[in-house]
Amino acid sequence: MMTITPVAAELQAQDVSVWFGERQVLKDVNLTFRANRVTALIGPSGCGKSTFIRTLNRMHELIPSAGLAGAILLDGKDIYDPSVNPVDVRMEIGMVFQKPNPFPTMSIQNNVLSGLKLSGLHSDNKEELLETSLKRASMWNEVKDRLDEPATSLSGGQQQRLCIARSLAMNPKVLLMDEPCSALDPGSTRRIEATIEELSESMTIVIVTHNMQQAQRVSHETAFFLADDNVPGGVVEFGSTEQVFGQPIDPRTNDYVNGHFG
Amino acid sequence: MSDPRPAKQPWNKSSKLASFKGLRGFSDAVLVFGSLLLAAAVFSLLLSVLWSVISAGSGAMSAEFLYQNNRYISTTTSLDYGGVGHAILGTLELVLLATAVALPLGLAIAVYLTQSQSKLRNLVRAITQALAGLPSVVSGLFVLSIISFLDAQKSGIFGAVALFPLMLPTVARVAEEALRLVPQDLRLAALGLGAPNYRAFFQVILPAAKTGIITALLLGLARVVGETAPLILTIQANEGTNLNPLEGGVATLPTYIYGFISAGYASSITRAWGASLVLLIIVGILFVSARLLTGDKKKKKSKGSK
Repeated sequence: MMTITPVAAELQAQDVSVWFGERQVLKDVNLTFRANRVTALIGPSGCGKSTFIRTLNRMHELIPSAGLAGAILLDGKDIYDPSVNPVDVRMEIGMVFQKPNPFPTMSIQNNVLSGLKLSGLHSDNKEELLETSLKRASMWNEVKDRLDEPATSLSGGQQQRLCIARSLAMNPKVLLMDEPCSALDPGSTRRIEATIEELSESMTIVIVTHNMQQAQRVSHETAFFLADDNVPGGVVEFGSTEQVFGQPIDPRTNDYVNGHFG
Repeated sequence: MSDPRPAKQPWNKSSKLASFKGLRGFSDAVLVFGSLLLAAAVFSLLLSVLWSVISAGSGAMSAEFLYQNNRYISTTTSLDYGGVGHAILGTLELVLLATAVALPLGLAIAVYLTQSQSKLRNLVRAITQALAGLPSVVSGLFVLSIISFLDAQKSGIFGAVALFPLMLPTVARVAEEALRLVPQDLRLAALGLGAPNYRAFFQVILPAAKTGIITALLLGLARVVGETAPLILTIQANEGTNLNPLEGGVATLPTYIYGFISAGYASSITRAWGASLVLLIIVGILFVSARLLTGDKKKKKSKGSK
């Protein structure tokens, strides 16, 4: 039976390096994502932040040439342990993508509950799970009277919140968001940011964003990633969002957060 | 002071043809008239085929013609008796048998070509494409050689076997296109929720490609429903109705047409045209349903975007 009480977890990356074929794209990333905190990953395009967030629930493995060294600990347990099935990892660590991607053949309701069917789980109380998930994604009132309509009938912002609700229905401990607002208008972005804030009370959130104002609005901690032509991506600076944007230690961080490059 | 907008060009309003001015206008005009001419040529070909089949075939058309079989009917019997009922059933039987194998296998090929990362994909695609170029008579000849090798009797099942390699590449290619059109995002979404690959495929990718796969099926059916050569080589004729594919002869519409047109009598020729009309209607139904099914999807989409 699925419990609906959410539990946040601590996620820790230890010496994570990633290769695509011969090319190393990430080198020795060490980051700790504390429970109930929102951590923003910022950096210019190609710095490896999107690759890194995918290693956190083993989605990067879908690229056949990808290789990884290091460990990712979820509450102290390595998700790359040979005994761990990546499918189970993805149930505990949910993901929201850049472009809203609800399942077009399913109704709003079935989209939210799709994770159960897709992972072969059963829920004793689907009605309750549906309502809780949509409420946590703050869209229950908008859709409660049209649950049987196709998901494609929703607006872009609503579709993205539906995708968040879909992830929440699996009751993940950690939610990864890869530029979740980059395809949305400012109004929808604001609503998703409010949702992120509410969700952080019950889970750990990692968000990749290109928008530095957004990082400052939603995150407690910020990690700045950087890569160069021949240098694989890595973390230049990691600290509280206030510190990274207010008093950056590394001059490169200072240049980036003040808009001198990137 | 002066209005920055370009002056209204009067010829744009009066008539489209009037805009064919200058060198560029001339080449535009040549292309437009050329296209219209070619379209008219194709259209008149189609109309003339339809007209000859309908005008020559409607003489044989009657309710009896659609359900009676051909037993006790000679090439000169009056058109009031006998029909193609047995041949319609035989054609459907053989085509369904071929489909029962070609659809799952064609779909499997399409899945392999779109979902796997294997290096053998290009080889498989090349072989499938080569199979699409296989002349149907060669397929029939191949199965005929199997029949004589096995020392077996010609029967319906061998006809279905000869149709199968003709149907397979069409189904595989159209299904591959359909699966390729499913956005990669959906697969990622499903896997990101903790779905194993096979569940992501059956519950998300396949439903999203459903109409395209139905089109693949219908185009595959249309490809083989009128095939004659492989059937002449692999099945025995039958004047009566026989639904047992393993034993005895079976009539099909194409072999019925071939038999009666070769006989050369006025009434037999009319019967052949009548059977052609029935075949044309069957193919027409298949194509129209394929169009309706794919068109339906677009309608739903435009509704959704409101």
